[in-house]
Amino acid sequence: MQLTFDHVTHTYQPGSPFQATAIRDISLTIGSGEFTALIGHTGSGKSTLAQHMNALLSPTEGRVLLDGRDINEKGVSKRDVRQRIGLVFQYAETQLFEETVAKDVAFGPKNLGLSPEETDTRVREALERVGLSYADIAERSPFELSGGQMRRVAIAGVIAMRPEMLVLDEPAAGLDPLGRQEIMALVQGFHRAGTTVVMISHSMDDVAETARRIIVMDQGKLTMDGTPEAIFADAERLVELDLDVPQTCRMSLELRRTWPDFPMCVRADEAYEALLTRLKGGKAHA
Amino acid sequence: MLNNITLGQYYPLKSVVHALDPRVKILLLIAYIAGVFIVPDLTGFVLVVLYLALACKLSKLPFRLLIKGLKPLRFILIFTCILNLFFTGGETPLLNLGFATLTREGLINAVRYSLRLIFLVLGSSLLTLTTAPVTLTDGLERLLSPLKVLHFPAHEMAMMMTIALRFIPTLLEEADKIMKAQSARGADFESGRLFERAKAMVPLLVPLFVSAFRRAGDLAMAMEARCYHGGEGRTRLHILKVEKRDWIAILITAVFIALVILEPHFVPWHL
Amino acid sequence: MSDEIIVLKDVCYKYEESSHNAVDHVSMTVRRGEMTAVLGRNGSGKSTLVKLINGLILPDSGTVLTDGMDTQDDEHVWDIRQRAGMVFQNPDNQLVATVVREDVAFGLENTGVPSTDMPERIDAALKAVNMTDFAERAPHLLSGGQKQRVAIAGILAMRPDIMLFDEATAMLDPRGRKEVFETVRQLNREGMTVVWITHFMEEAAQCETVHIMHDGGLVLSGTPQEVFSDRERLQNWRLDVPPMAALAQHLRAAGVGLPEGILSIDDMTREVEALAAHL
Repeated sequence: MQLTFDHVTHTYQPGSPFQATAIRDISLTIGSGEFTALIGHTGSGKSTLAQHMNALLSPTEGRVLLDGRDINEKGVSKRDVRQRIGLVFQYAETQLFEETVAKDVAFGPKNLGLSPEETDTRVREALERVGLSYADIAERSPFELSGGQMRRVAIAGVIAMRPEMLVLDEPAAGLDPLGRQEIMALVQGFHRAGTTVVMISHSMDDVAETARRIIVMDQGKLTMDGTPEAIFADAERLVELDLDVPQTCRMSLELRRTWPDFPMCVRADEAYEALLTRLKGGKAHA
Repeated sequence: MLNNITLGQYYPLKSVVHALDPRVKILLLIAYIAGVFIVPDLTGFVLVVLYLALACKLSKLPFRLLIKGLKPLRFILIFTCILNLFFTGGETPLLNLGFATLTREGLINAVRYSLRLIFLVLGSSLLTLTTAPVTLTDGLERLLSPLKVLHFPAHEMAMMMTIALRFIPTLLEEADKIMKAQSARGADFESGRLFERAKAMVPLLVPLFVSAFRRAGDLAMAMEARCYHGGEGRTRLHILKVEKRDWIAILITAVFIALVILEPHFVPWHL
Repeated sequence: MSDEIIVLKDVCYKYEESSHNAVDHVSMTVRRGEMTAVLGRNGSGKSTLVKLINGLILPDSGTVLTDGMDTQDDEHVWDIRQRAGMVFQNPDNQLVATVVREDVAFGLENTGVPSTDMPERIDAALKAVNMTDFAERAPHLLSGGQKQRVAIAGILAMRPDIMLFDEATAMLDPRGRKEVFETVRQLNREGMTVVWITHFMEEAAQCETVHIMHDGGLVLSGTPQEVFSDRERLQNWRLDVPPMAALAQHLRAAGVGLPEGILSIDDMTREVEALAAHL
C-alpha cells in the first residue's frame, strides 16, 4: 500500500468572501508499515490533510493517489478507499449512535455489505483489539460507558473495517494520564500488527516515544519531514514555529551548556542512558 | 468549514439606519408595512418607493443586496400574479383566452398584490440587513417587556433566541464533523431513495442530539455559575436611548403614512 | 478575613442515579491567595468537588464554607457564586452571547451591576486576559485558548476572590494551554485564590499545593515535591509524575545521587550540573 499526495492544495469555499486555503502544494508519500506523526498548530492544516487521505475532502488542485490510482477519480469507490484507510476523528466517541456497543461497531462492516456472520466476527475481533471484553460490553449502551471506554468503542468501529492504514486525530485527547498511555499503547499495537499509522498529535512526548517519521505542518505548508531524531535535532526550528519539543530534548539543549557534546535525547530511555553514562561513567545493566 | 457562515443577513456598516434604536426600527417597520397595505391605488406605491429609496440610501447598503432578498420569493410572486390575473373577475375584459378572461381589474390586482409582497420583503430585509441579530433580539425583548404583566415570557424568549444564535454555528460545525466521521465508516448520505436517505440520517442525528443535550446541560451549569437566575433584577450592558435621529426617522415615517392616507385627495386619477 | 478561604468539613455528595458517593467524606482547606491543584483520574470526583465549592451542588452531609459563607445558606447563593467564579472544560459550552464583549457582560447583567459601571469593568477584565482586541468578535470564530480567556474575563469582571477551573486546558492545544495557564498564574500572583483541576502533571507541579482525589476520597495532599515523590503510588491512582520526575527517580534507582523533588527541566539541569561539578 502506498499513499501519495501530488501537489495537493485545498481551498475552502473558493470564490466566496470566506475563501481560505487550508493546505498548499503538499507532496508526500506514505508507505506500508510506517508510523508517521503529523504535528502543527491548530489551523495549520493537519486535519484538512488527514481528511484528504480517505477522500472525505478532495483537492481543489493536485491529486491523491492510492497505489498509483487517483482516489477522487470517477469509478473509484470511495467506500473501498475508506475501508482501506480508516480515519478516527478527534473525540471520536461523539460519533457513537447505536443502542448497543456491538451494533455501533458493526456499522462500518455492515456498510461494507459484509454478511451477518462476518460482521459479528469483525465486531468481536475489533473490540478485543481495543482491549475491551466482548462478553462484558457488547450488549451495553455505548452512552453508559466511561469516557475512555467510549473512545475505545469508537476506535473499534473503525478497526472493524480492517483498514490497512489508520489515521488518528489526537486519539488520546482529554484522557487522564494512564488512559492516555493506554491509548498510545493500543496505537503502537496496531502498528506492530502491521497497520500503517498516521497520528495527529499535540503531545511531543507521545510523538517522540512512538513515531518513526514526523511531518510538521505550518500555515498549510509541509515545513519539515524526517525521523524524530532529525526533526528534534533541529529543536530550535520547532521552537521558532512556537511548537513544543519533548521535555528530554529541551533538557538535552540545556545540558549542552555543561557538556557541549551532550546527545539530543528524543526518548526518555535515551536520556536515561546518556545521563547515566555522564554521571556514573558507565552503562547500567538493563 | 462552516464556521464562516453569517447568520441572518446582517450587513455591518456605519450608517444612520444601522445606528437607529432597534425598538424604533421595529416599530417603524410595522408602520411601513401598514402603509404598504393601506396604499389605496397603484399611484400610492410611488410614495412607498420614495420612502424605501430614502431609507436604502441612508443605510449605505448596496441595492443589489436588498434585491437578493427577493429571490426566494419568485415562485410565490408568479403564483400570486397568475391567481389574480385570471381569477379576479371584473367588468372590463381585456383578453379572452377561452378558459379564462383577463380583465383590467385582474391586471391591477396582480400588480398591486405583487408590489405589496415585494415591498413587504424589501422593508423587512432592510431591517435585518441593518440590525445585528442580537440587537434585534434586544429590541424585541424590550418592546415586549410591558407584556410581562400578562406573564408573557419576553426575557426568556429573547434569551433563547440569543443562545440559538450563539450555538447554531457550533452545531453546524459539529454536524459536519459527525457526518464525515460516519462517512469514514462507509456511511452514505447522498444516494438512495427518500426512505433510505431518511434512515441514513440516524447516525448523524442521534450523535447530534446527544451532543446538543450535553451542551445544553453544560451551558445551563455555566450560566448558573455566573449567577443567571432569569430576567428579574437583571441590568443590561446596552442602554437603549431614543435619540434625535430616531425622532427624525419617526417624523419622516409619520409624514409618509399621512401622505399615503391623503394621496387619493390630491392625485386626480385613480388606478 | 479568615486566612482559610475554602473549608470543606467531612463532605459527602451522591448523584441521584449513582450507588456510591461521588465525593466521599472529604475535608480540605484552601488558603487565601493560594494556587491549588486537584488531580485524579476521570470520574474520581474532582469536578463534583469544585461544584460543591461554589454551591452549584449542595453537600448531602458535612459543610462547605466558601469565603466564610455556608453554601447551604439560601441567602448566600448568589454571593458565593459571584465570589467563587468557575471556568469549565469545554470552551464552546460556556459562552452565552454572540459577541465577546456581551459575553463578558453576562455575569454583570445577572448580578444587577449598573449599566454605567459595566464598560469599565469589561475593559479591565478583557485587558487582564489580553483579549482587548477581540472585544467585538464572535466567540465561535476564536481559538480554544482565546475562548477560555474570554470565559475567564467573564468571571473576572464579576470581581471574584476565588476562581475554580474544571479542566480548563483539557481541550486545548499546547499553545492554548500555555496561554490559559500563564493567564491564571498571573492572576494568582496578583492575589487570586485558584483551584486548578487538571490532567497535566506539569501544570500541577507549578502549583503550591496538590490534592489527589480517588474514588471520591481525598487520598493525598501536599506540595508538588511531596506528592510526586513516588511514581508507583500515583500510577495506582491512574496518574503519573512529570517526565523529569520519572527520569530522576529512574536514575536514582540506578545509583545516581540526584536529590528528591526534581519536577521540571530547570530542576533537572540544575541538579545534574551540580553533580557534574563534583565529578
